Amino acid sequence: MMPARIPALLREWLLRLLGTFRGRSLDAEFREELSCHVELAEARFREQGYSAAEAARLARLRYGHADNALEDVRRQQGIPWFGTFTLDVKLGLRMLRKYLGLTLIGGFAMCIGFAILLAVFSYFDIVIWSDTLPLDDGDGVVAIQVWDAQNGRRSEIGIDDFERWRSSLHSIEDIGAFRTVERGIVHDNGEIEPIPVAEISAAGFDVARVAPVIGRTLRADDERVGAEPVILIGFDAWQSRFEGSDDVLGQALRINDRFHTVVGVMPRSFGFPINHEFWVPLQASAMEMISAPPAGAVFARLAPGGTLEQAQAELTATGLLPRESSDDGEGLRPTVLPYASNFVDDTDPNDLADMAGVGRMVVFLVSLMLIPPCVNIAMLVFARMVTRREEIAVRTALGASRRRIVLQLYIEMLVLSTLAVVVALLVVSGMLAVVKGLVLADLGRLPFWIEPRLTLDTLLFAGLMALTSALVIGLIPALSATRSYARPGLKSMDPRNRLRLGPVWSLLVMAQIAFAFAALPSAVELGWGTLRAHVLGPGFAAERYLTTRLAFSDVDPSIGPDAETLARYDRAAGDFIRALETDPRLLSPVAASSAVPGEGRWARVRIEGDDAEQALRIGSRIQLGQLAARSIDIDDRYLEVFDIDVLAGRAFLPEEHRPDSGSVIVDATLARDYFPDSNPLGRRIAYAPDRVAAGTAGTVAERWFEIIGVIPDRPAHPYRGSIYHPVDREALAPLSISFRTDAADGELRQDLRELAARIDPALELQGLRTLKEIYDNQAIGNYIGGFAVIITSLAVLALAAAGLYALMAFCVSQRRREIAIRMALGARPHKLLRAVFRTALRQVAVGASAGLALAIVLQTYLPARAVGGLEVPGVVPGAIALLVIIGLGASLSPARRALRTDPTECLNDSG
Amino acid sequence: MPNRENSRAQFLRGTLDLMILQSLASMGALHGYSIAARLEQVSRGALVPNMGTLYPGLMRLEQRGLIRSEWGVTENQRKARFYSITAAGRRTLDAEKADWDRMVTIMQALFTESS
Repeated sequence: MMPARIPALLREWLLRLLGTFRGRSLDAEFREELSCHVELAEARFREQGYSAAEAARLARLRYGHADNALEDVRRQQGIPWFGTFTLDVKLGLRMLRKYLGLTLIGGFAMCIGFAILLAVFSYFDIVIWSDTLPLDDGDGVVAIQVWDAQNGRRSEIGIDDFERWRSSLHSIEDIGAFRTVERGIVHDNGEIEPIPVAEISAAGFDVARVAPVIGRTLRADDERVGAEPVILIGFDAWQSRFEGSDDVLGQALRINDRFHTVVGVMPRSFGFPINHEFWVPLQASAMEMISAPPAGAVFARLAPGGTLEQAQAELTATGLLPRESSDDGEGLRPTVLPYASNFVDDTDPNDLADMAGVGRMVVFLVSLMLIPPCVNIAMLVFARMVTRREEIAVRTALGASRRRIVLQLYIEMLVLSTLAVVVALLVVSGMLAVVKGLVLADLGRLPFWIEPRLTLDTLLFAGLMALTSALVIGLIPALSATRSYARPGLKSMDPRNRLRLGPVWSLLVMAQIAFAFAALPSAVELGWGTLRAHVLGPGFAAERYLTTRLAFSDVDPSIGPDAETLARYDRAAGDFIRALETDPRLLSPVAASSAVPGEGRWARVRIEGDDAEQALRIGSRIQLGQLAARSIDIDDRYLEVFDIDVLAGRAFLPEEHRPDSGSVIVDATLARDYFPDSNPLGRRIAYAPDRVAAGTAGTVAERWFEIIGVIPDRPAHPYRGSIYHPVDREALAPLSISFRTDAADGELRQDLRELAARIDPALELQGLRTLKEIYDNQAIGNYIGGFAVIITSLAVLALAAAGLYALMAFCVSQRRREIAIRMALGARPHKLLRAVFRTALRQVAVGASAGLALAIVLQTYLPARAVGGLEVPGVVPGAIALLVIIGLGASLSPARRALRTDPTECLNDSG
Repeated sequence: MPNRENSRAQFLRGTLDLMILQSLASMGALHGYSIAARLEQVSRGALVPNMGTLYPGLMRLEQRGLIRSEWGVTENQRKARFYSITAAGRRTLDAEKADWDRMVTIMQALFTESS
């Protein structure tokens, strides 16, 4: 009849949705209204001369029964299927509360699985899959990369090539470049504040298509050599340094030794090209090379209607100019790629497209991790069905279809999986916040296209996982159970009609117990290895050591220093150290090294002699990096500054501090790990070829180093050892300096920066902090990893215990009649228990034996030590004892229930 | 023939909605029983709306914003809910009446021509 007006229909359905939740109050109103209707009708019949009883009968006859009318009103008031759904959800919540053990254990295990899966998904979603920039037509922003296929890295780009592309390419436009340089803002009081500055082509602002808040962006004119120095600042810098004043335009900002005029302010969210807050013109014509990402890059926009393929074809045709150096130019390949992909670490652009696919494959594989906990929970749910036999039978007898019962059981488990997903999302959200904090603490700002937070894709994926896992934990047990119980009539309550744990379920129980036995010892070692160093502390007053890396801002990291710069660096570093040592706040001389304690480069090592032993160890462990160590080059003051006494052998002699020295000192951990049964002194070690390629001082191909001394671990409890090489300070570039002081948190840091700027404006103090700050920073990641291992282990234990409990409880509930008869016949308790649990115990024994064998194999061939774990004496017997205790605990309740069976009652029940 | 039954139910429901709107448009605010009595009276007893049909219909119309309701008291001081037509309801009624008239005219012409 009525024209279907969409707003009216929408309004109706919206109100019906709300009405679903307002059942009681609306019910009361309609009861009142319907009783009014009946009363008025009865009054009219009474006025017509009918008796009260007759009037009531006639009213009902003519207008229907109020209760039936109320049912019709309710159907209109809400959404019928939604009402059923909410009822099922309420029932599900009630069941979760009733079976609290299953809820807690199952929810806990699923939550861990979901959290791991969603964390992996979030990583790929944020870093790999979302390469669309948050800019106007962000898909059109591209980068040009020159891939050095020979060396497997991104190469710098010649200025000649850059200029040629700018003038000749048509399928991409607004080609520009940038490089990040470290500069210092000089404040009025002389204080120098280090800042990263983007030297960028004016085209960058055409590519980004973002207008300034005030002023203008950079212009092509600004790029001329000799043009007046100008600077564009970010919103935060504008607020913090100029209090958001419009007068900022035209003001001069002193950067190093030059004044730059502020010409504009960019919006808060603007960070192009990466995460910058200061932009100055790039004078490309005065440069030879544009650094490889992330220090620099060439960017552009696809021409309107253009595609990446067209741009690539044109770029390939244009190619590269031949390079001067003879070994260059071979295997160099210019590539156009989405802008964000340019910053994925040293990956061949041809492989980048595959990374998205690899990510999907990884997510798929990780999602398979959910299968074990889900199957476990399915088994527990299936076992629980025994106790719900009567409920299912009665509901079936009252007319509920099997489909309806299965759906309701599915929704019960959907409630559980949804709760687990919600908690997992909260955990992942917290983890992302922590990671963001860590990255921000380390880098200052994130790339503007990366925002570590839960995305819509992640939420949708989480929802899909909740629905899918509920299928496994709810639908499969429900279908199995209703096959037996949901039969017409109450026949299904016949005790002879019982559930059976088929071979698949039995196998699962055994596999679960085996897994718990096999995994627990390794998990303990891994957790302890990850956490021990941070739990027990570094073993010395790390908060009293201030350290920094002396770097030169003039050195392009992709090219390295030339001889002249190197000589200038040596002078500047020497002057800085000498001036520093006159500061009365220093409590020790200044030590120079390639890295601070606990932060040296990883290198694989070989031990001379005993080839048979070595071959054996290599066969089982080297692939996992067992024979690896940190390598640190130290000067002649290092041991004194860190107050390190030699445990065995001797310290370096002054004449040994030279680049070609063949002596090394190792720490106690290395001595213990590599020479457990022999004296390390006099033994010789060498580095694997990858370390040689790294080119650090003290490592030459096939060169053997003799161990002349053993010193304590610094910091204490490393999970791998360190090797110390004696070098002369001049041979270290760049170098880290460390010294002891009681004023590490005071003005000393600022004074050091000013001292460095006075000695050479290009001299930078990178990572100026105490050793404690460094170790605390390392600890956060390890704590997350360690606790993840502990929580996962607890989940495995809880599931094993619950599986065992379910198995035992199932045996008891299925054999109550037999138990009753045996008890009535005077069976002894221990014999009774043995009879009841015989099958279950056999399964447990098989699972435990398999697990134990697997644990021993793991300990021998794939020890947790090889991946960061730490040997814990007696871990296997300890784990077995723990599992036996847990197993006995889980069996206790079913056993007591079996022994307390009342024969008379049980036999009466089963009639 | 479930489809036929379904379309018949839709037709009757639509007709009842139109009858309720017309009653409220001509009589002003009415409670449920008065609407039922009015339809009964106008149809000379041929149409006696059951409470299970009438009240869901009233609720549906209110959910669509075509009528509104408020609690009041009847002549004999009984608390009752009174329904009145809204402006949207009047517009819908006018449109529906025009459609109805057009349909009746077409049907009459068709029947006259056939006979």
